[in-house]
Amino acid sequence: MQELELGAEIVEEAGWDLPTRERGLWSDAFRALRRNRLALAALVILLVLAALAISTDFTHLISRYSPYDQVYAHVQEGPSWAHFFGTDNLGRDNWARVLTGIEISLQIGIGTQIIVLFLGLLVGVTAALGGRTSDNILMRITDITYAFPDLLFIILLRSVLYGRDWPVLGEPRLQVMLAIAMVNWVTIARLVRGQMLSLAERDYVMAARTLGASNWRIATQHMLPNTLGPVIVAFAFGIPVAIFAEAALGFLGLGLPPPTASLGRLVSDGYVYIQVNPWIVAFPAGAIALLMLSFTFLGDGLRDALDPRQR
Amino acid sequence: MGEKKLGFLVLTALTAILTFAVVACGGGEKKTSVETPSAGGAAPPEQQVLVAQSAEPEFFDPHRSNFEQDIAVERALFRGLYQLELDSNDNVVAMPAMAAGEPQVSGNVYTIKLKDGLTWSDGKPLTAGDFEYSLKRECSPDVAGPYQYVLGAGMLDLAGCDAYFNGEGTADDVGVKAIDDTTLEMTLKAPKPTFTTIMSLWATFPVRQDIVEKFGDKWTDPANIVVNGPYTLTEFVAKDHVTLAPNPNWALEPKPLIQKLTVKFIDDQEVAFRAFQTGELDMTNIPATEIPTIQNDPNLKSQYLQIGSLRIWSIEMQLNNEVLKNEKVRLALSRAIDRESLVKVVYNDAYLPATYWLVKGIPGFQGNGPFENIIGFDEAAAKQALADAGYPNGQGFPKLTITVTDNPVRKAEGEFLQQAWKQILNIDTEIQAVDAKTRSSTFNSREFELFPGGWQNDYPDPENSLIGLFDTGGGNNKYDCSDADIDAKLSAAGAETDNTKRIQDLKDAETLIVTRLCGAAPIWQGAFLYLVDPKVGGVRANGAIDASMPGNWCPECWFIKAQ
Amino acid sequence: MTSYIIRRILQLIPVLWAVATITFILMHMVPGGPFTQDKALPANIVAALNRRYNLDEPLWKQYLLYLWNLLHGDLGLSFRGDRDVSQLIRDGFFVTAQLGVLAFIVAAVVGLGLGIFSALNQNGVLDYVGVFFATVGAALPNFVMASFLIIIFAVKLGWFQVLGWGGPIQFSQALDPSAWEWKKMVLPVIAVSTLPAAYIARVTRASMLEVLNQDYMRTARAKGLANLTVIGRHGLKNALIPVLTVMGPIAAVLVTGSFIIETVFAIPGVGRAFVDAVARRDYAMIMGSTLFYAVIVAVANLVVDVLYAAVDPRIRYGR
Repeated sequence: MQELELGAEIVEEAGWDLPTRERGLWSDAFRALRRNRLALAALVILLVLAALAISTDFTHLISRYSPYDQVYAHVQEGPSWAHFFGTDNLGRDNWARVLTGIEISLQIGIGTQIIVLFLGLLVGVTAALGGRTSDNILMRITDITYAFPDLLFIILLRSVLYGRDWPVLGEPRLQVMLAIAMVNWVTIARLVRGQMLSLAERDYVMAARTLGASNWRIATQHMLPNTLGPVIVAFAFGIPVAIFAEAALGFLGLGLPPPTASLGRLVSDGYVYIQVNPWIVAFPAGAIALLMLSFTFLGDGLRDALDPRQR
Repeated sequence: MGEKKLGFLVLTALTAILTFAVVACGGGEKKTSVETPSAGGAAPPEQQVLVAQSAEPEFFDPHRSNFEQDIAVERALFRGLYQLELDSNDNVVAMPAMAAGEPQVSGNVYTIKLKDGLTWSDGKPLTAGDFEYSLKRECSPDVAGPYQYVLGAGMLDLAGCDAYFNGEGTADDVGVKAIDDTTLEMTLKAPKPTFTTIMSLWATFPVRQDIVEKFGDKWTDPANIVVNGPYTLTEFVAKDHVTLAPNPNWALEPKPLIQKLTVKFIDDQEVAFRAFQTGELDMTNIPATEIPTIQNDPNLKSQYLQIGSLRIWSIEMQLNNEVLKNEKVRLALSRAIDRESLVKVVYNDAYLPATYWLVKGIPGFQGNGPFENIIGFDEAAAKQALADAGYPNGQGFPKLTITVTDNPVRKAEGEFLQQAWKQILNIDTEIQAVDAKTRSSTFNSREFELFPGGWQNDYPDPENSLIGLFDTGGGNNKYDCSDADIDAKLSAAGAETDNTKRIQDLKDAETLIVTRLCGAAPIWQGAFLYLVDPKVGGVRANGAIDASMPGNWCPECWFIKAQ
Repeated sequence: MTSYIIRRILQLIPVLWAVATITFILMHMVPGGPFTQDKALPANIVAALNRRYNLDEPLWKQYLLYLWNLLHGDLGLSFRGDRDVSQLIRDGFFVTAQLGVLAFIVAAVVGLGLGIFSALNQNGVLDYVGVFFATVGAALPNFVMASFLIIIFAVKLGWFQVLGWGGPIQFSQALDPSAWEWKKMVLPVIAVSTLPAAYIARVTRASMLEVLNQDYMRTARAKGLANLTVIGRHGLKNALIPVLTVMGPIAAVLVTGSFIIETVFAIPGVGRAFVDAVARRDYAMIMGSTLFYAVIVAVANLVVDVLYAAVDPRIRYGR
């Protein structure tokens, strides 16, 4: 035992970039993250937004109005004390709509990325390690997925599942998540594969192989942590991209059914009123921007914190 | 966006008041533009016009066209024997175009003489033989023209046309013959008072046999096309625009002044509106959502044109549904809709709140008078009707689906209805927002419950608004309205030869349909909304005969004013 | 390497076949067909139209017929005007590619520049400024940004124009100077390039940072080489690998067109044509566009993979 500990200290002091044991990596990362003020600020903002948004499920204290009440006497108003963010084309309070929108958009963004991460890692790692044939097959699958007619797929999904109260797949949010994830998982897969292909030739990997480590161990203990950097950036960045994708779907007429409104929906529906009442788009777009900046800085912080060479 | 492109059949090409037709022989005013280009002054302005229309034409072949955007361009390229115009009193009349005058009618046989000296754009003479070929072509099963039915049973009823189309006859059996180069003889199955109206339709436009046979489907390419209208096609760029230039052999007056007429295809009306504001377009249609912007800008306001169209919009209800088959339920739903508020909030007052079905602008229009107090907005009456139906305060009422197109305005309308029914009747509804084809498919398969949809007239006569829509088994009766009294009135109207009695029968049918809510609860009548740059003169917009562009019935009347 | 490229090109065939089959099946499963409309066409007219376009044949027959024609390079006719699908795609792509290439160049230059610049000044003020610009510029969905740009710079200020594309729309116009209107190009290119630029900037920065801290970089510096040489000769190539990964699909996306930007600016591109075809159930056009897109994407991925090998000599494809 003593020799091992001593050995570890020497390694650390010498600054050799042998990756340490997994537990060390994550706790060190957390410490590093805490030191990064920007990332911390971003995390705080996200938590606050999430809390505000979720509060609308339970109370009207913060949102002040229901996001669904239409009041025709107060249509297309700008910001005021009565309505912080103004009202929309049916007289609904924009502040309440944006808060609810944040909640729904976060659900969709994070949910989509979880699916994306899972699929992407699975396929990327298998492709990189599985030998030439499986690499080829998986890469061709990603080619097919890139070219996949997702529009048709979404239209079909909607028409088949609409109105049938199926427990899981009937949920429109899940349909949208699946639809977006179907396309976006490929980027992460290729990123992971690319990284791992280049890492596979690195010295410490060869060293580990010489020492008799199995492929699986090499992948999870040595290579995966080193691919995490760009992957985490991609994950964090992918959340607002998913939110954007949902907005684009809304613009095409394939988004969430009314009256539920994610931020993307608010923006794509409000787009036709942009000259009449720009606030109707400005505030939800601002919320999207805030979410995006926060996730990006958080992602950056995570990347810096997890990078074994930066400690 | 969706229905406009997909479901828009041209109402504009047919006569307004033909049953009372101001027969123009001798008494009609010559069709002139009310404005004429002023002479003298500064250097003559460049005669170029850029117009937007909200969809790309599919065909420039008039016999294969189904949609308004095609027909809009074809009316500049071709003219039939007759054409619809506005006289100096702004009445719609069918006037001889290629024909020399009114047809001579003897029983079922109509003889039309062509004007002398007519030529095509390439100089070859335009003869009656061309019209014979063209009418037979419209009836041809190989061409598969979507408007063939205009020449068939129930409409013009040209002898042998349906038989030929359905494969039961040949082209030679079709009742149209060129007696000589300037005389055309047509045999119908029965005399038709609306003859000249129907002969103004794009389906009857002449095309050149040798050109069609030589070039096949490419005969409408700018290099090949031969036309007889005021303009000819000089350039077509798919998905972008089409350019027209004057046809030097255009036989009628006025001669086109615009030297370059460009029609741009812009799907998104918001985009067209912005392009108009940057000066990149001279005329365009605009969405109702931009009306507040226009009202607030004095410059735009002066360029704004709003004219009623022949379109009626309603909540269509599938009568086979377990709750909707109850008339009291339908009454409750209809009486809970504040139509004025809906039109104001969702459409910025661009449209007319309506409890009638026969639109303003056609004979038989009754207006809201007879119907407002029966099916119009009344909260208390709505609640009472629902209670009478057995669902007091909405108890036990199932959740119905409202099917709308997924665009912001139609969804807003759906949300308005959802809230109205929730607040007044305490019933829950679910909005199903889908793409246009899915929505149409849902309608055609009768699998809908509540369906905001409507009807746009092909021609301004009440028979077009009712027959086929509300008779049992009618081709457009997708809501399964089946009422013996209504059927009786509609068939009486179909057989009636006395025009006044016919209109009365149709009005009675409308009354029954509306008061019994047999399939549809009307909510508004539509309008065309345009912006026209003041430098463009000669534009006389009319909702009954325009197609896609203001004053489109006479593009040869347009000119650029001297500044 | 050549044999690798050839193998990849051959592998395109099963990919295209799979895409064609999936698309064909989905296409015929969605509700509504090309002649479905609210104002239903009479049954005999629909029958005549179906007959004209061979839609009355059983599906498997239509499928085989399509594949047969495809092998002969015939993509069929669009229902819209019986126009040749390959011609439509070619014309649309000509326009979309112009927009895409311009946007790609802008995105790459701006993205790489910002990314490298930020990495070199890590955690300094300039780093945050660079990152901020990169993210803020892409913080809005592109149609929102496009709308605001249009309203501010075109409608209110009148600096630019919004209708259509500022370059030649048909190949024949390429040499015609009047077909080039730069005023129409600026806003669409900005709208399309901001998000990719931001993404490229971030990935570049992340990747550069990783490379800059590698021991071989330290070794090179220790050898006494100037910082810039170190970065340029040793750092850049390795940093580019993850950047290339993302540039591949970005290029594919840009080049195949953003439907939304094409709609908002009324640009007659291939992205809009495809979405429009789906909406109208224009079968031949849907199949043709999807296959076209598949080819572009596969080629882009191939190019990226080849560039990997060129940039990182340790990657071998001959395993």
